[in-house]
Amino acid sequence: MTESAAFLTALRLSDSMLPVGTYTASYGIEQYLNEGRIETTGDLADLVAGYLRGIVGPAETVALGCAHRSAAAGDLDGVLAADERLAASTLPAEFRESSTKAGGKLLDLLADADGPFEGAAGDELVEEYAAALDAGETAGHYPVILGLLCQRAGIGRREAALVGAYSTVTGLLGAAQRLGRFGHTEIQSALSGLFPTIEAVCDRYHDADLEAMCSFAPLADVMGMRHERADRRLFMS
Amino acid sequence: MGHRDVATVGLGGPVGSGKTAMVKRLVPRLDDAGYNVGVIANDIMTQADAEQLQASFEGRLPEDLVAGVETGACPHTGIREDPSMNLAKIDEFTERHPDLDVVLVESGGDNLAATFNPELADYFMFVISVAEGDDIPAKRGPGVTQADLLVINKKDLAPYVDADLDLMERDSERVRGEEPTVFTNCKTEEGIDEVVDLIERSVLFA
Repeated sequence: MTESAAFLTALRLSDSMLPVGTYTASYGIEQYLNEGRIETTGDLADLVAGYLRGIVGPAETVALGCAHRSAAAGDLDGVLAADERLAASTLPAEFRESSTKAGGKLLDLLADADGPFEGAAGDELVEEYAAALDAGETAGHYPVILGLLCQRAGIGRREAALVGAYSTVTGLLGAAQRLGRFGHTEIQSALSGLFPTIEAVCDRYHDADLEAMCSFAPLADVMGMRHERADRRLFMS
Repeated sequence: MGHRDVATVGLGGPVGSGKTAMVKRLVPRLDDAGYNVGVIANDIMTQADAEQLQASFEGRLPEDLVAGVETGACPHTGIREDPSMNLAKIDEFTERHPDLDVVLVESGGDNLAATFNPELADYFMFVISVAEGDDIPAKRGPGVTQADLLVINKKDLAPYVDADLDLMERDSERVRGEEPTVFTNCKTEEGIDEVVDLIERSVLFA
């Protein structure tokens, strides 16, 4: 049984109220819409399922799981390795920037002695990781820091993976909803329709070795790169 | 050196009220007064807008101290509930320019309920224009009532849009208590010196 405090922290980390700027990232969704490639909620749900199978599962969840496992073992190098490999697996510059900016903000919340995660302040591993980030020795990707935080908060690895994947999915759907014209009930239906895929990729990847990490979503990567030069931009990525 | 080490002035207000025009008037004055200034504009939606904004400060501000921040179609969130990306941009500014004195943060265009997060803006000015209706102060929107400074811009247009400036002044006093209200005309620069004076006294000499 999950402890109540851990469960509440999991809810908190999945909540769009968490002030880490993830609402400014669309990870290519804005460009899909700019180019008229998404017409219906069904198109959108299919696309997000593709993100889950191509990026969120095999890259982000692997990184999150490795960070979580390494944090449990007090292994800073393992956390840093997850960060490095995720950076190398994320091709569009804006995807990396969105992830590291949100990651940096999450770490600020986590590591700030006066901040809202005071239990983590003074944690040796968190401090060492923050020092590495300050020194430019690691990138600070969001899934890695989320894995670290979840482990410290007592959230299990599989649940941590679900938190990460769910947050990413609602971020993508929310971005589409703010740019396109999708009904709120349709978006909720799309979200529940994606639950089996969220669960499947988290089950498959949350315990995977770092060497298994890969990312394959070529059109999303192209959209992410084209977005850098898009004439209209409401999102950072 | 980071966002906590530099003074920040937030400019909110409805679309078209003159926030950008105000920023363009404030920057030369603050620059001439010897302050190192940075400018962040939220929701510069097109590349043309971004280039135009940078060009307007050419010769005054380094290009890397004039930046846009995207707010994911949530302009109020960007200045209120979650100003993370604005704070991250200020951190970038201060890393490159440790001698920075003040950053002007212009919101992406608001409704009357928008306010600046106090952790983002040390000083919050809300800019409305007479052309949006002379009943705006009386509506008591949080932007109007909670701003450190209310600016009522485009005062020269009052006769053309049937706006009663005396009514706006009375209502502003009534809903804002002791907090100041300044009438401006950014085209003729009327009232701008008073705005600069208030900013200087409130956040730069504080």
